[in-house]
Amino acid sequence: MNLNACQITAFSLPSGGTGPILIPAPKAIQAGRAFALLAALFLFAFGLAVVLLALDQQRVVDATSRLQDQTVPEIIRFQRLARNLEQLRQEGERIFAVSSQASRQQSMFVVTLIASHPSILEHPGAARLARETEQFLSEVVRQASADDRRPATRYDEWQRIAARLGMQVDDVSVQGINLANSDLNVATTAMRLARYKLMTALVLVGVFLVVFMVLVRRHLIHPLQRINQSLSTLSADRPAPEFGPSTMLEICAVEDSVREHHALLIQNEETRQVLEKLANKDGLTGLMNRRHFMQSAEVELQRAQRYRRPVTVAMADLDLFKKLNDTYGHAAGDAVLRAFADLVRDTLRQSDFVCRYGGEEFAFLFPEIGPAETEKLAERLRARCDAMDVALPDGRSVKATVSIGLADASECPIEIALKRADEALYEAKRLGRNRVVVSSSSAAKIDGEPDTLTGSLF
Amino acid sequence: MSRAALLLLLWCALPASPGSAVLAADRPALRVLVLDNAPPMSFRDEFGQLTGFSVEVARAVCSEMRVNCAFDVVTQSALLPAISQGKADIAAVGLLATTERRAKMLFAKPYYRSMSLWLARPGIVPGQAGVRVAAVGGSVQEAYGRKQGWEMNAVATHGELAEPLISGQAQAVLVPMISALNLQKVVAFRKLGLATTVIHAAELSGDAAFGISPFRPELLKEINAALDRIKRNGTYDRINSRFLPFRVS
Repeated sequence: MNLNACQITAFSLPSGGTGPILIPAPKAIQAGRAFALLAALFLFAFGLAVVLLALDQQRVVDATSRLQDQTVPEIIRFQRLARNLEQLRQEGERIFAVSSQASRQQSMFVVTLIASHPSILEHPGAARLARETEQFLSEVVRQASADDRRPATRYDEWQRIAARLGMQVDDVSVQGINLANSDLNVATTAMRLARYKLMTALVLVGVFLVVFMVLVRRHLIHPLQRINQSLSTLSADRPAPEFGPSTMLEICAVEDSVREHHALLIQNEETRQVLEKLANKDGLTGLMNRRHFMQSAEVELQRAQRYRRPVTVAMADLDLFKKLNDTYGHAAGDAVLRAFADLVRDTLRQSDFVCRYGGEEFAFLFPEIGPAETEKLAERLRARCDAMDVALPDGRSVKATVSIGLADASECPIEIALKRADEALYEAKRLGRNRVVVSSSSAAKIDGEPDTLTGSLF
Repeated sequence: MSRAALLLLLWCALPASPGSAVLAADRPALRVLVLDNAPPMSFRDEFGQLTGFSVEVARAVCSEMRVNCAFDVVTQSALLPAISQGKADIAAVGLLATTERRAKMLFAKPYYRSMSLWLARPGIVPGQAGVRVAAVGGSVQEAYGRKQGWEMNAVATHGELAEPLISGQAQAVLVPMISALNLQKVVAFRKLGLATTVIHAAELSGDAAFGISPFRPELLKEINAALDRIKRNGTYDRINSRFLPFRVS
């Protein structure tokens, strides 16, 4: 069953006793949709706050318009009423102050007009007091026309009426001013509400930004960082990367791609190894092919010469192989070649290089040992070959021998060394086959410089 | 430097904005009708210049509207026909908006509230037989008296109202409140010792407003807005204090 890593998450319990447990992860969603939903929610909430703010602002505009168009004219009307009441009081004072009856009558006329004026009559309290004042002053003026000293006697009475007029002026003034309170209260309340809503909207914006950043960080940035880290260390040598549960489909897709990429890397590595094997090995014997041997031997030879270490090369050729082929067939020849290759692998050291040089010819490179030690090793190989019976597919068995030529390679290029070994091989063939011959250029060295480094190997 | 000069030229080329304090010279003047013998509402001062409560309110309204106003003097009886026929734009006189008048002209918002007074010797009451009542010809007071069947003595201007009583041609006078204020300043009139009675008839009291030509309905809104502004900004109250002893609005 193919399970999506984003839908099923595996992890081990801390105790580690019961092994991995599968639990369903939250259902994955598309990042675009998730953030679009979040943005839509925010827009709705912010839009609502803006609409509410606009409504409050409209209330303030309405209240101020009402204040200007209705309340202020009304306040001015109250002020004019207060002014008329004050004028009434002043005309009364004038009636008591002047000595001329004509002036008194003139003031009385104004008092009559004020007391009868619609601006006074429409205010019940002011109208009552104005009428009372008019009657009192009218009586005073009438009495004064008869006796000039009479007004003074009623001045105390007038003082009380004048005081009431003064208080009425105050009341009317305050009454007028208070008319503005209602509109101002509405505007103030709306402004206060607007301030709260504005703060709420700002907090909303802040919370949204924080939530947005947290979600982006948690569901996008962190997974991307994990993916980046996994990609930077992704290798066929390492295990497949492990990702935590992710809720974003896009992240899941990238994580799956990384896993697929890792699997592909491993597959490629396996393929590479197979191809390398095919490119470097001889198909029949499984030994190195000539090209790979020459590359490897060249590197090893340079290393040995740089550190002045002993190194020896050899050429080997199966004796009378053509005759064997002609007698038993190519399948028998192939079987002998494979058997010899197995014998070589079994006899030589791990560090020795050997390849099928061509046909029934083999090339060798022996690091860290000189021709003398190599000769012993080669001799052992020759002897084991001589003793070997090769079973053929048809049930028969054949025997094969090998001739080997050795040459010191510690002071010459690989080609020269191999040429010398090849000459030694021909010498072995010439001397009767099934033997090991050390190149003459190496023989002198055997006598003069005994190889002590690898003496313990045999 | 050249950029600043260009900006200056552009600024100069711009037409004066509506908010400019400069009156629009190219805007046609409004023809305003006023009375010249109705103190303290409308009269000529010692220099012969027209002034008075109604005249100054009209000037303030024209200033608020930023229009040029040309003042023409007419009599009360000639006032209403001139407005109703469209010979003038505004009648800057405190007119009571009677039904008959409303049919002939438009009325702005009221600029003061008025009432009518009966001034007569003590004992002479309205409607008394054998009493001749003086009033300004063409006024609501004259119309009211005639409607009541009173014997009326019409004069041409408010300034002439005292004469019939002083000479004995009339025994009572029916006048608007503010005209009565002016009559009280005439010594000979005051010496008559007249008693004051407020006539509480609906057609004789109430809101007084400027008349507007029925051919200029677009002026109504502008004039009303200008009146509202001068009532709010204190201009109206200063005019009130200058000409009248108490607030008449």
